[in-house]
Amino acid sequence: MRSWNCRLPERVISGWLGLALLCLLSACAPVQPWERGRLAQERMSLEGDPLLQAMDEHVYSSKEAASGGIEAAGGGCGCN
Amino acid sequence: MPCSLKACIGFVIACMALLTTTASLALEPGDKAPDFTLPVLQQGNLKSLSDYRAEIVYVDFWASWCGPCRQSLPLYESLFQEFAGQGVKFLAINLDEHEQDAVNFLAEHPVSYTVLRDAAAHTPEAWQIKAMPTSFLLDESSRVVKLWAGFEPSHLQEIRNAILELQTP
Repeated sequence: MRSWNCRLPERVISGWLGLALLCLLSACAPVQPWERGRLAQERMSLEGDPLLQAMDEHVYSSKEAASGGIEAAGGGCGCN
Repeated sequence: MPCSLKACIGFVIACMALLTTTASLALEPGDKAPDFTLPVLQQGNLKSLSDYRAEIVYVDFWASWCGPCRQSLPLYESLFQEFAGQGVKFLAINLDEHEQDAVNFLAEHPVSYTVLRDAAAHTPEAWQIKAMPTSFLLDESSRVVKLWAGFEPSHLQEIRNAILELQTP
Protein backbone atom coordinates (compact mmCIF):
# COMPACT_ATOMS: atom_id res chain seq x y z
CA MET A 1 0.00 0.00 0.00
CA ARG A 2 1.31 3.37 -0.92
CA SER A 3 2.01 5.76 2.00
CA TRP A 4 0.40 9.21 1.91
CA ASN A 5 3.59 10.92 2.99
CA CYS A 6 3.44 13.90 0.56
CA ARG A 7 6.17 16.24 1.69
CA LEU A 8 6.60 19.48 -0.24
CA PRO A 9 10.14 20.53 -1.05
CA GLU A 10 11.72 22.96 1.45
CA ARG A 11 12.10 25.57 -1.27
CA VAL A 12 8.36 25.62 -1.95
CA ILE A 13 7.53 25.90 1.77
CA SER A 14 10.01 28.73 2.17
CA GLY A 15 8.61 30.51 -0.86
CA TRP A 16 5.04 30.38 0.41
CA LEU A 17 6.13 31.35 3.90
CA GLY A 18 8.04 34.31 2.53
CA LEU A 19 5.08 35.41 0.44
CA ALA A 20 2.70 35.09 3.37
CA LEU A 21 5.03 37.10 5.62
CA LEU A 22 5.43 39.77 2.94
CA CYS A 23 1.66 40.12 2.73
CA LEU A 24 1.39 40.37 6.52
CA LEU A 25 4.09 43.04 6.69
CA SER A 26 2.47 45.10 3.95
CA ALA A 27 -0.77 45.01 5.95
CA CYS A 28 0.95 46.71 8.90
CA ALA A 29 -0.26 50.27 8.37
CA PRO A 30 -0.94 51.89 11.74
CA VAL A 31 -3.16 54.93 11.91
CA GLN A 32 -0.96 57.99 12.37
CA PRO A 33 -1.86 60.41 15.18
CA TRP A 34 -2.93 63.12 12.70
CA GLU A 35 -5.18 60.66 10.87
CA ARG A 36 -7.39 59.99 13.89
CA GLY A 37 -9.80 62.76 12.98
CA ARG A 38 -12.14 60.33 11.25
CA LEU A 39 -12.09 57.96 14.23
CA ALA A 40 -13.03 60.91 16.45
CA GLN A 41 -16.26 61.54 14.52
CA GLU A 42 -19.50 60.78 16.35
CA ARG A 43 -20.70 58.33 13.69
CA MET A 44 -17.58 56.22 14.30
CA SER A 45 -18.56 55.62 17.92
CA LEU A 46 -19.14 51.94 18.71
CA GLU A 47 -21.87 52.73 21.24
CA GLY A 48 -23.97 54.92 18.96
CA ASP A 49 -26.41 57.48 20.27
CA PRO A 50 -26.75 57.06 24.08
CA LEU A 51 -30.44 58.14 24.13
CA LEU A 52 -31.41 55.70 21.39
CA GLN A 53 -29.44 52.97 23.11
CA ALA A 54 -31.24 53.62 26.42
CA MET A 55 -34.61 53.48 24.64
CA ASP A 56 -33.67 50.22 22.92
CA GLU A 57 -32.63 48.68 26.23
CA HIS A 58 -35.88 49.81 27.86
CA VAL A 59 -37.98 48.29 25.06
CA TYR A 60 -35.99 45.07 25.15
CA SER A 61 -36.26 44.68 28.92
CA SER A 62 -40.01 45.43 28.77
CA LYS A 63 -40.55 42.82 26.08
CA GLU A 64 -38.43 40.25 27.84
CA ALA A 65 -39.73 41.08 31.33
CA ALA A 66 -41.43 37.68 31.67
CA SER A 67 -38.11 35.93 31.35
CA GLY A 68 -36.23 38.42 33.50
CA GLY A 69 -35.45 41.11 30.94
CA ILE A 70 -31.75 41.58 30.18
CA GLU A 71 -30.69 39.91 33.42
CA ALA A 72 -29.43 36.35 33.20
CA ALA A 73 -31.83 33.72 34.51
CA GLY A 74 -30.98 32.15 37.89
CA GLY A 75 -30.35 28.48 38.49
CA GLY A 76 -32.70 25.89 39.86
CA CYS A 77 -35.91 24.63 38.27
CA GLY A 78 -36.85 28.02 36.80
CA CYS A 79 -40.20 28.16 38.59
CA ASN A 80 -39.28 31.21 40.67
CA MET B 1 17.92 23.99 8.03
CA PRO B 2 17.82 24.57 4.27
CA CYS B 3 19.32 27.82 2.89
CA SER B 4 16.02 29.14 1.51
CA LEU B 5 14.34 28.87 4.92
CA LYS B 6 17.29 30.61 6.57
CA ALA B 7 17.06 33.38 3.98
CA CYS B 8 13.35 33.72 4.69
CA ILE B 9 13.85 34.03 8.43
CA GLY B 10 16.69 36.46 7.88
CA PHE B 11 14.45 38.60 5.67
CA VAL B 12 11.73 38.72 8.33
CA ILE B 13 14.21 39.69 11.04
CA ALA B 14 15.66 42.39 8.78
CA CYS B 15 12.18 43.79 8.09
CA MET B 16 11.31 43.86 11.77
CA ALA B 17 14.62 45.53 12.57
CA LEU B 18 13.95 48.12 9.88
CA LEU B 19 10.48 48.82 11.27
CA THR B 20 11.75 49.29 14.82
CA THR B 21 14.63 51.56 13.80
CA THR B 22 12.31 53.67 11.67
CA ALA B 23 10.03 54.12 14.66
CA SER B 24 12.88 55.34 16.81
CA LEU B 25 13.95 58.06 14.32
CA ALA B 26 11.65 60.66 15.89
CA LEU B 27 12.62 64.34 16.04
CA GLU B 28 14.50 64.90 19.29
CA PRO B 29 16.08 67.83 21.11
CA GLY B 30 19.18 68.89 19.23
CA ASP B 31 17.85 67.85 15.82
CA LYS B 32 17.41 70.42 13.07
CA ALA B 33 13.70 70.88 12.40
CA PRO B 34 12.79 70.12 8.77
CA ASP B 35 11.80 73.19 6.83
CA PHE B 36 8.26 73.56 5.52
CA THR B 37 6.29 75.94 3.33
CA LEU B 38 2.60 76.05 4.14
CA PRO B 39 -0.35 78.33 3.37
CA VAL B 40 -1.80 80.56 6.06
CA LEU B 41 -5.30 79.49 7.06
CA GLN B 42 -8.00 81.33 5.10
CA GLN B 43 -5.42 83.59 3.44
CA GLY B 44 -3.44 81.31 1.19
CA ASN B 45 -0.15 83.22 1.33
CA LEU B 46 2.77 80.93 1.99
CA LYS B 47 5.00 80.91 5.06
CA SER B 48 8.19 78.89 5.57
CA LEU B 49 10.01 77.94 8.73
CA SER B 50 13.11 79.51 7.18
CA ASP B 51 11.27 82.87 7.23
CA TYR B 52 11.77 82.78 10.99
CA ARG B 53 15.47 82.06 11.09
CA ALA B 54 17.32 83.81 13.92
CA GLU B 55 14.10 83.80 15.97
CA ILE B 56 12.79 81.59 18.72
CA VAL B 57 9.82 79.68 17.29
CA TYR B 58 7.14 77.67 19.05
CA VAL B 59 5.41 75.26 16.65
CA ASP B 60 2.17 73.58 17.63
CA PHE B 61 0.49 70.81 15.62
CA TRP B 62 -3.25 70.75 16.28
CA ALA B 63 -6.61 69.76 14.85
CA SER B 64 -10.26 70.64 15.58
CA TRP B 65 -11.06 67.08 16.63
CA CYS B 66 -8.24 67.03 19.19
CA GLY B 67 -9.77 67.37 22.69
CA PRO B 68 -6.71 68.77 24.52
CA CYS B 69 -6.38 71.43 21.80
CA ARG B 70 -9.50 73.11 23.20
CA GLN B 71 -7.45 73.74 26.31
CA SER B 72 -4.05 74.33 24.75
CA LEU B 73 -4.90 76.97 22.14
CA PRO B 74 -6.30 79.59 24.55
CA LEU B 75 -3.33 79.01 26.87
CA TYR B 76 -0.87 79.37 24.00
CA GLU B 77 -2.62 82.60 23.08
CA SER B 78 -1.97 83.95 26.58
CA LEU B 79 1.66 82.86 26.28
CA PHE B 80 1.91 84.54 22.89
CA GLN B 81 0.59 87.77 24.39
CA GLU B 82 3.09 87.47 27.24
CA PHE B 83 6.06 87.20 24.87
CA ALA B 84 4.72 89.58 22.22
CA GLY B 85 7.43 91.91 20.92
CA GLN B 86 10.22 89.83 22.43
CA GLY B 87 11.19 88.01 19.23
CA VAL B 88 9.31 84.81 20.06
CA LYS B 89 7.17 83.53 17.21
CA PHE B 90 4.22 81.18 17.58
CA LEU B 91 3.16 79.00 14.66
CA ALA B 92 0.15 76.71 14.77
CA ILE B 93 -0.08 74.05 12.07
CA ASN B 94 -3.60 72.76 11.55
CA LEU B 95 -3.98 69.19 10.31
CA ASP B 96 -7.72 69.07 9.67
CA GLU B 97 -8.84 67.41 6.47
CA HIS B 98 -11.38 70.19 5.87
CA GLU B 99 -10.45 73.82 6.35
CA GLN B 100 -13.94 74.74 7.59
CA ASP B 101 -13.47 72.51 10.66
CA ALA B 102 -10.43 74.55 11.62
CA VAL B 103 -12.25 77.82 10.95
CA ASN B 104 -15.20 76.75 13.11
CA PHE B 105 -12.85 75.72 15.91
CA LEU B 106 -11.02 79.05 15.80
CA ALA B 107 -14.32 80.90 15.89
CA GLU B 108 -14.82 79.36 19.36
CA HIS B 109 -11.15 79.50 20.42
CA PRO B 110 -9.60 82.44 18.56
CA VAL B 111 -5.85 82.97 18.46
CA SER B 112 -3.92 85.94 17.13
CA TYR B 113 -0.74 84.14 16.10
CA THR B 114 -0.13 82.63 12.65
CA VAL B 115 -2.11 79.51 11.82
CA LEU B 116 -0.90 77.44 8.89
CA ARG B 117 -2.61 74.54 7.15
CA ASP B 118 -1.19 71.17 6.19
CA ALA B 119 -4.14 69.05 5.04
CA ALA B 120 -1.80 66.67 3.21
CA ALA B 121 0.06 66.05 6.51
CA HIS B 122 3.56 66.16 5.01
CA THR B 123 4.91 68.22 7.92
CA PRO B 124 3.80 65.96 10.80
CA GLU B 125 5.27 63.03 8.89
CA ALA B 126 8.58 64.82 8.44
CA TRP B 127 8.59 65.90 12.09
CA GLN B 128 7.62 62.37 13.24
CA ILE B 129 4.63 63.41 15.31
CA LYS B 130 3.64 60.69 17.77
CA ALA B 131 0.62 62.31 19.44
CA MET B 132 -1.91 65.04 18.97
CA PRO B 133 -1.29 67.78 19.88
CA THR B 134 2.50 67.97 19.75
CA SER B 135 4.52 71.14 20.06
CA PHE B 136 8.16 72.04 19.56
CA LEU B 137 10.31 74.88 20.82
CA LEU B 138 12.99 75.81 18.29
CA ASP B 139 16.01 78.00 18.90
CA GLU B 140 17.38 80.68 16.57
CA SER B 141 19.03 78.04 14.36
CA SER B 142 15.79 76.03 14.03
CA ARG B 143 17.08 73.27 16.28
CA VAL B 144 14.63 71.51 18.55
CA VAL B 145 15.15 72.62 22.14
CA LYS B 146 12.27 70.73 23.65
CA LEU B 147 9.11 69.00 22.52
CA TRP B 148 5.82 68.23 24.22
CA ALA B 149 3.74 65.27 23.03
CA GLY B 150 0.17 65.77 24.18
CA PHE B 151 -0.91 68.68 26.36
CA GLU B 152 -1.35 69.30 30.09
CA PRO B 153 -1.77 72.70 31.73
CA SER B 154 1.51 72.09 33.58
CA HIS B 155 3.28 72.25 30.20
CA LEU B 156 2.66 75.99 30.09
CA GLN B 157 5.14 76.74 32.85
CA GLU B 158 7.69 74.39 31.27
CA ILE B 159 7.31 76.21 27.95
CA ARG B 160 7.62 79.59 29.66
CA ASN B 161 10.78 78.49 31.47
CA ALA B 162 12.29 77.05 28.30
CA ILE B 163 11.64 80.28 26.37
CA LEU B 164 13.11 82.40 29.18
CA GLU B 165 16.17 80.15 29.22
CA LEU B 166 16.63 80.65 25.49
CA GLN B 167 16.28 84.38 25.82
CA THR B 168 18.98 84.50 28.48
CA PRO B 169 22.29 85.35 26.74
